[in-house]
Amino acid sequence: MAYDDLRAFLKALDEQGQLLRITDEVMPEPDIAAAANAAPRLGDNAPALYFDNVKGFTDARIAMNVHGSWANHALALGLPKDTGVKAQVDEFIARWAKFPVKPLWRDDPPWANNTRTGEAVNIFEVLPLIRLNDGDGGFYLDKAAVVSKDPEDPENSGKQNVGVYRIEVKGKRKLALQPVPMHDIAQHLRKAEQVGEDLPIAITVGNDPVISIVASTPMEYDQNEYELAGALRGEPAPIAKSPLHGLPVPWGSEVVIEGFIQGRKREIEGPFGEFTGHYSGGRNMTVIRIDCISYRDHPIFEHLYLGMPWTEIDYLLAANTCVPLYEQLKKDYPEVQAVNAMYTHGLVVIVSTKKRYGGFAKAVGMRVLTTPHGLGYAATVIVVDDDVDPFNLPQVMWALSTKMNPAGDLIRVPNLSILALAPQANTPGIVDKLIIDATTPIEPDHRGNYGNQVRDLPEMGKWLTKLQQLAANR
Amino acid sequence: MATNVICPRCAFDTIEQLYTSPVPGVWEVLQCQQCLYCWRTSEPARRTDRDAYPDDFKMTVDDIINAPEVPAIPPLLAKTGS
Repeated sequence: MAYDDLRAFLKALDEQGQLLRITDEVMPEPDIAAAANAAPRLGDNAPALYFDNVKGFTDARIAMNVHGSWANHALALGLPKDTGVKAQVDEFIARWAKFPVKPLWRDDPPWANNTRTGEAVNIFEVLPLIRLNDGDGGFYLDKAAVVSKDPEDPENSGKQNVGVYRIEVKGKRKLALQPVPMHDIAQHLRKAEQVGEDLPIAITVGNDPVISIVASTPMEYDQNEYELAGALRGEPAPIAKSPLHGLPVPWGSEVVIEGFIQGRKREIEGPFGEFTGHYSGGRNMTVIRIDCISYRDHPIFEHLYLGMPWTEIDYLLAANTCVPLYEQLKKDYPEVQAVNAMYTHGLVVIVSTKKRYGGFAKAVGMRVLTTPHGLGYAATVIVVDDDVDPFNLPQVMWALSTKMNPAGDLIRVPNLSILALAPQANTPGIVDKLIIDATTPIEPDHRGNYGNQVRDLPEMGKWLTKLQQLAANR
Repeated sequence: MATNVICPRCAFDTIEQLYTSPVPGVWEVLQCQQCLYCWRTSEPARRTDRDAYPDDFKMTVDDIINAPEVPAIPPLLAKTGS
């Protein structure tokens, strides 16, 4: 079943034993971030956390780690909570095949109940903001879905964008937003700024779990995130027009913040502990003026801790990074079997593929680098044979151990683009990338002494089932 | 404006109050007017006290002046048409 808002999903998590309510009084800092830092360490069934007794606040409700385990990710997609990782990725691929499913305009969004505009705006009065890591420059929103349109083609719903970006709160009605040049909102902003205009945006906080997944999916520029949400939900995503700009925003959001990215203006921002597990330095970043905040009665602040992986963001950026890369590679090379791009949003990508002829795996690896997401990520690509499961890291290590000869299997491509947050680059934004061909060479590539590979016995599968049954019935 | 407070990060002495706790007197949210560091007064000393603030996270005026632009501001397009 699909959830139309965060509240419905929190209720489902609660019923499934996947929501932990912290009822003791906590300090806003460092307790809430530290608890969310700790939660994923509980393992694949780690729960979401819910705080409503926060020192100094009278009416705070904060949800953390909502997507922060494979169990919660499965429930977000309406799957049983014990669904395996590869099975979740496979189901994501199957549902992607139904893309696009047009969204549904729905009246009376609950966030229309309360509105503040202009000088009456104070974001601190609406959201119980908290700070995350020690070196962060301030209070951040890092799980909001930001909606904007292509200023040159505003009626084109494909070119509109719903994305998650790092946002620093810098005043009662002032924010900063990081548009990484490889991401869609940066294209919108560039188009606005080169003609000297501001970019209207809507920042939606506290969404149904599929909105958070699609907003962090690296879709192509002209693909509509709501239409993917419909495919993943199995029914249209409900949306409504934001009151100030008329932008399409989720019907079920807890809070909708509207304003403008002020054209051609930059101001010091950060640092912020990023998804790379490193702080970005302080940069001069865009400035947003908030003109309107709409919010539900008793809004819930959904927030995300990120730091030394794995944290919630790694679960949120796992399946949804693998699948678009898989789709794009498969279009050109049907031999591709599976893509694992779940490490640091695809800074490492592992692809399993059949081979047409000798040298083919290297071509697949190079295609990864030229996919839209590969332009900003994919610092290292590992290509393995089709009988290696890229989600099974021991198998990937076996392939690296036995199929890779540095003499001919390491392809280093100099000075390619990467997002500036990638800390390994000497010059931010430019890095050498590496393709590792860990496949078995085939005709006419005669390198190595492979002879025959040991295969699973034909009867193994039957025995696996039998042993599982015997073990379960002990 | 908060008095007798310096920025833990850059040591600047002009500090604005952005917000106070809904339960009166529990904490304030402060912001440095030079480096824009923003913190809550109830946070641990390592985040709020200049003496305890880690050197690795300190910021100087030079750091602010030399911070890269993200994203770079594009050149203005020449207006076309009549």
